[in-house]
Amino acid sequence: MIFPFSAIVGQEEMKLGLILNVIDPSIGGVLIMGEKGTAKSTAVRALVELLPEIDVIKGCRFNCNPEGPLCSDCQEILKNNGNLEIEKKKMRVVELPLGVTEDRVVGTLDIEHAIKKGEKRFEPGILAQANRNFLYVDEVNLLEDHIVDLLLDSAAMGINTVEREGVSFVHPSRFILVGTMNPEEGELRPQLLDRFGLCVQVTSIQDKALRKEILRRRADFDSNPLEFLKAWEGEQKVISQKITAAKENLYKIEIKEDVLEKIVHLTSQLNLDGHRADIVIMKTSRALSALRGKTSIDLKDIKDAVQLSIRHRLKRLPFEESGKEGEKIQALLSEI
Amino acid sequence: MEFSEFVGHEEAKLSLILNAVDLRCGGVLFFGEKGSGKSTLVRLFKNLLPEEIPFIELPLNVTEDTLLGGIDIEATLKQGRRIIQKGILGRAHRGVVYIEDINLLSPEIISLIFEVKRRGENIIEREGFSLKEPSEFILIATMNPEEGALSPHILDNFGMCVLWEGLKEPSMKIEVLKRHLSGVSNLRNEEAISLDNNLKRQINSSRKRLKDMIIPSDTKEYIVQKCNENNIEGHRGEIFLLYGAIAYGAFCGDEVVSREHVDKVLPLVLTHRKRISKELEEKEEEWKENKRDRKEEGSKIDKESKKEMGESESFNGGDNFSKESNLKAFKPAEEIFNIGDTFKIKRLIFRKDRLPRNISGRRTRTRTKGKSGRYIKSLIHPENKDIAIDATIRASAPFQNLRGRKEMILIEDEDLRFKQREMRMGHLVIFCVDGSGSMGVQRRMVETKGAIQSLLMDCYQKRDRVSMIVFRKDRAEVLLPPTSSVELASRRLREIPAGGKTPLSAGLLESYKLIKNVSIKSPETRFLLILITDGRANHTMTQMSVIEELEKVLELLVKLPSTDIIVIDTEKKNNFLSTDFAQKIAFKLGADYYTIENIKSEILIEILQKKIPF
Repeated sequence: MIFPFSAIVGQEEMKLGLILNVIDPSIGGVLIMGEKGTAKSTAVRALVELLPEIDVIKGCRFNCNPEGPLCSDCQEILKNNGNLEIEKKKMRVVELPLGVTEDRVVGTLDIEHAIKKGEKRFEPGILAQANRNFLYVDEVNLLEDHIVDLLLDSAAMGINTVEREGVSFVHPSRFILVGTMNPEEGELRPQLLDRFGLCVQVTSIQDKALRKEILRRRADFDSNPLEFLKAWEGEQKVISQKITAAKENLYKIEIKEDVLEKIVHLTSQLNLDGHRADIVIMKTSRALSALRGKTSIDLKDIKDAVQLSIRHRLKRLPFEESGKEGEKIQALLSEI
Repeated sequence: MEFSEFVGHEEAKLSLILNAVDLRCGGVLFFGEKGSGKSTLVRLFKNLLPEEIPFIELPLNVTEDTLLGGIDIEATLKQGRRIIQKGILGRAHRGVVYIEDINLLSPEIISLIFEVKRRGENIIEREGFSLKEPSEFILIATMNPEEGALSPHILDNFGMCVLWEGLKEPSMKIEVLKRHLSGVSNLRNEEAISLDNNLKRQINSSRKRLKDMIIPSDTKEYIVQKCNENNIEGHRGEIFLLYGAIAYGAFCGDEVVSREHVDKVLPLVLTHRKRISKELEEKEEEWKENKRDRKEEGSKIDKESKKEMGESESFNGGDNFSKESNLKAFKPAEEIFNIGDTFKIKRLIFRKDRLPRNISGRRTRTRTKGKSGRYIKSLIHPENKDIAIDATIRASAPFQNLRGRKEMILIEDEDLRFKQREMRMGHLVIFCVDGSGSMGVQRRMVETKGAIQSLLMDCYQKRDRVSMIVFRKDRAEVLLPPTSSVELASRRLREIPAGGKTPLSAGLLESYKLIKNVSIKSPETRFLLILITDGRANHTMTQMSVIEELEKVLELLVKLPSTDIIVIDTEKKNNFLSTDFAQKIAFKLGADYYTIENIKSEILIEILQKKIPF
């Protein structure tokens, strides 16, 4: 039984960040920063309910997209049969536990098959399951270093190349990375930070009335989950429908030259590394505009997109302070 | 998206094209910031290579047997005799191996790759077979210098190197965004495809004309001269410069390789080989110092007495001294100095000890406890009961027919192989910093802080934990308890003031206590104590004399287990007043001794200086 997304009190920024990623998975995920007990994990797990169905190649262990890229298996089938069957599958949230080993992440030789049948076969790992799904890492800043490297390696191009223990295998691994972290417990490497499309901050709610509301809902859910879910069914539907509509409209939204100019002007002033920030701001503004039921991107969309996508990119050095940059963004935003 | 659509980065594109024309150009390393399209370009380039040239990607997860080759389980079982499966390096013969983020690759794997590369053949002696196969390949690799450096020795293996600077020009950035938009909607640009096809044809015809290219002796001389001018060690530079120039000449459609061709490829070939000569380095240093002094004194004078302003512009080396002493009079007793220039730290090496641990990091190799760490290779004799099943199956494979296998593989004791795992750990690095008044003299504190900041960068790359202790006036103080936040350490560093007496023994005692405390809580910790001082102790905690007290504390420190000590001497060495106290302390501690000048990485390659973004 999962606590419904729509019943989560407050934390609008976090909810928005997650929803935008459902609308446009290519935004590249979200990093949720905040203290413990602020509904971070609850929200990510609740997201499952809202996820849409996607087209995948039937029977593929890697959820290959019919439009490509294809895994080694699907390429083989395509070569032999000339065509591939398609089925619908619901998107999932795949979890990456902290103590995970390298071979579980990337996949490895299927030992059982090798012993029983004497044949070499690739046993997919978490990166395979995560293809076209959400990959969720709780306390991502505590992840072991060489595991982080592996994530970065396949996140870079959306492909997992495996060369281990005598097996060579290639499969697509395009995942939407969702991480939570409590900054007090250590930092995240800039290179990994940069891989998260968006970054949202959650703080515990101080308002007494709201806190009471949280308690009440939690108690209701715990004592009678079925009834609680029923009560929230309507709200859940509203969000689902909004997301579906936004997904349909996403590519109809025109991105005008002046929008690009504004984005680039802003990021140039901030002296950010690389192009990822530009791309993410562009896509986020588009998704925001789609969510708001509009046909073109306006200034508010851009401003909100900047707030969501820039916070974690300002620290250009592993240990640079980012306090002043916040003011700079505000100044720049009021300028445009 | 196609290669021709890629916005900007003409130098990088050229380097790839030249390698496609002639593999003897020696590959290329892209050196630059994250998220700027390095790997995107390499992948687009893959399509430009002629089909007969293998292009093999080497992922970070590679294991030794797949890299070099080993027994093919399936084929061996079927045929009842050992069948060898080629490894990546064998498959890459006469082709390209592409490594993304090469600086994150495990050091063991890196050394294997370069060993094969140097020999040009892959020799395997293991699992009961021996194999020798040709393996000549070039490397194309990317790296982000923030995540750690490569040794110059490895850099030298790359024919070319490109400093990949992010596009800053807004119009170009807009172009990139537009390309991205069309890339997402899967629209293939007809025009770009035809451009790419033209480029492919041009590359192919250039390849054919390579052997007919004329190389005048003037051009050869010019190459040698250029390498000399740039202080290039060894002959690799000259060789790659020659092949690069030939490939470029052919690509331009010329028949004769000219000086212009050489000039064009010169930056590509020499960037990562250029060693700044000592002389030049010193000169630059001097110049920088002058400039800095002038600037800072200028601003100080500005604040303190406007009358002197006119003079500050015109002063030269001669009255430097009098100016210094003049200024000293204005100085308050305590001052917070800025962080000076940072630099690349020399590689600090520590002995591997026997204690098995479970700490992650990147500094020193350690034995691992249990089943953690990276599986490097399989061994016949176990270090622990960690069976390497893949290797065990491979070892048993040739005997299956003999043993009468039906379905299930039959494994016997002699087949058992065990995993050797590798792990690197971070240390707890304790900075014990002298904050006394003598550190403020001649702005030594500025340089010292620069050195500490540089060491902190090194700690970040090696994933160390850090702690900071400062001793000044009458006591020592733990400014920063052990933390993994190098950022926090950097902030504390900025705030360290200089002024007052030097309670050196108090600082050392505080360090001793810290190490003792931490090792009770986590006995696996390895410590690195970095003492940064000029050694001029002049304050005691007890009734003992300065020397007596100091010696007592030093004795305590020497006895600490799992602790390495480095002393960094901050005393200015080029004058007759130097005391070398710090050196004596280092000797007593059995510690490695450095001055701020010589802890800098000796081989200052220009790119490292330019690109490490402090």
